Amino acid sequence: MRINEFLVTNTDDYEDDFGHKHGWIELFNTSYGAVGIGGCYLTNDPANLKKYVIPKGDATTKIGPRQYTIFWADNMPTRGTYHLNFTLEESSEIILVASDGRTIIDRIKIPHEQIDTNVTYGRITDGEGSIDGSGEGWGIMERTTPKTSNITAEREPAHVVVKRMDPFGIIMAVTAMSVVFCALVLLYLSFKYMGKNAIRKAKKKLESDSPNSPATGNVSDQEESAEQLAAIAMALDLYFRELEVHDFEYTVLTRNETPKTYSPWSSKIYTLRETPVKISKR
Amino acid sequence: MESKGIFSLLGDNLSQFWQYTGVANVSFGHILMIVIGLVFIYLAIKKEWEPMLLVPIGFGIIVGNIPFFHGLSIGIYEQGSVLNILYQGVLQGWYPPLIFLGIGAMTDFSALISNPKLLLIGAAAQLGIFGAYAIALLLGFSAAEAGAIGIIGGADGPTAIFLSSRLAPDLVGAIAVSAYSYMALVPVIQPPVMKLLTSNKERLIRMKPPRAVSQNEKRIFPIVGFLLTAFIVPSGLPLLGMLFFGNLLKESGVTRRLAETARGPLIDVITILIGLTVGASTQADKFLQVRSIYIFVLGALSFVIATFGGVLFVKFLNLFLKDGNKINPLIGNAGVSAVPDSARVSHQVGMEYDKTNYLLMHAMGPNVAGVIGSAVAAGVLLGFLT
Repeated sequence: MRINEFLVTNTDDYEDDFGHKHGWIELFNTSYGAVGIGGCYLTNDPANLKKYVIPKGDATTKIGPRQYTIFWADNMPTRGTYHLNFTLEESSEIILVASDGRTIIDRIKIPHEQIDTNVTYGRITDGEGSIDGSGEGWGIMERTTPKTSNITAEREPAHVVVKRMDPFGIIMAVTAMSVVFCALVLLYLSFKYMGKNAIRKAKKKLESDSPNSPATGNVSDQEESAEQLAAIAMALDLYFRELEVHDFEYTVLTRNETPKTYSPWSSKIYTLRETPVKISKR
Repeated sequence: MESKGIFSLLGDNLSQFWQYTGVANVSFGHILMIVIGLVFIYLAIKKEWEPMLLVPIGFGIIVGNIPFFHGLSIGIYEQGSVLNILYQGVLQGWYPPLIFLGIGAMTDFSALISNPKLLLIGAAAQLGIFGAYAIALLLGFSAAEAGAIGIIGGADGPTAIFLSSRLAPDLVGAIAVSAYSYMALVPVIQPPVMKLLTSNKERLIRMKPPRAVSQNEKRIFPIVGFLLTAFIVPSGLPLLGMLFFGNLLKESGVTRRLAETARGPLIDVITILIGLTVGASTQADKFLQVRSIYIFVLGALSFVIATFGGVLFVKFLNLFLKDGNKINPLIGNAGVSAVPDSARVSHQVGMEYDKTNYLLMHAMGPNVAGVIGSAVAAGVLLGFLT
């Protein structure tokens, strides 16, 4: 979680559920998983890190991945979970503290002299920048952006940028083909060495097996060439085909009727003599 | 008065009923698309060109092009209709990974493990994707659309659907139909390119028989394969994860029932749903556009470029290999992942020149490498363009 943006003096900006305008602090979940902030603390006093405890029982304090939430700095904690017991006008710093009450997750000093009324101070890029209060990566926002990204400029979709930068697709082709090759070269190298290792192991096994048990017929995988395997497969295939032809099942002989009306068995090509050739007279 | 009122009511109802009929709403586009659907079914039944896909797609085209009165929640593009709900599997991209699970559970990677350099052919053949991408850019497609069109060259239906649903949902129908059509046409498209690029001597190269692969190697392959590829291209995670997971189910030896379900009933159910809904998504008003013609032309080109890439790469590789270890360039075409059709093409073309040179088992290596390569390429495109 990060403190992402805050508004000190609010006279004409975002309103709370009661229709009142107050300063606010935006928190941003920088992770790609939901984060529960119940039990954490928000404070404006480094000497009192447990000034405001975010209630644990509130289901809304579980912040979704890359989502934002807002706390009202109105000094009215009785109005709900999101209303703090201090205001920003009277504060010099905002500190987010972990649920242990000691670990500081994020802090930022409030540069009152720079911030006008209804103007927010925030991280230039959401979630990025200092967490030690120095203000690195922070700045005055062009617009207030409560509960949304601080980047207000319209972003070009990635594919538009890609087309603008690489109108002929050459850079994309070269880069993408390189990535594909890298992935498959890595696979190639892994399995090349794994294969060598497997062959070496098989040879060792063969050497250790053969002098001790020559008559057992212990044959390793490496001994069987593809031709041998093909011959075994062919023999098995023929064997099973033979079973099929005879249709021998449970010692009962049956006859399989073929749906083809014209089979090699009834083919005249195979059963008749060649048609005599008529020799024409000149 | 009473009888006139009844007739008037009857007339109104009949007129309304007429408006609801397909006959009242039919257009030339609908008829044309229905004819295309019938051609698909004919090709599947008579020629046996990818019947498992062309029958559902062909019938889906007919279903999607029955004219109807809009607003009754019937059409595939009408929210809440049955077809629309089934189509979500395509749009949200969860059918393709499930198909990849089944493909993984039915694929034997032995050929690849025994001769891992064949993996590189699977990478080279992905050139078709980026060749078509570049041409699509020149034709004025956006980069996202060009990426979705380019992936047709990966010759992998599920990958094409997955990527196009992410990059260009409007083009899913045309891209899927194009990808599956050209996969069925691999025996027509590839042989001329293969013959053009190879000499007689090269076509007669005999490759060493692949060594036997131990069960442990087969078990390690999906795990290592997944880790290496997914760490490089995490955006290909849904496809690569499912592919290698399916393969682990097959090779682990202890999950036979799961593997059988993945490669049997599960993949069958998803194939039916994906085929029917992709077919139905080719509604005439959405499909019959100049862009669809471009997509079909680019699809054919991508297959040709992919075949070029695969065959030429083998020739290049042969420059560095010793005699006896050389690879027959006729298996280069199998780098496009139309499994197993392109491997079969390698074999058939090889047999034309030497009846005793069996290339099928060798061609299966680049063929399954192509599946991995196209999934990685899809991940790269997804990472770059979204």
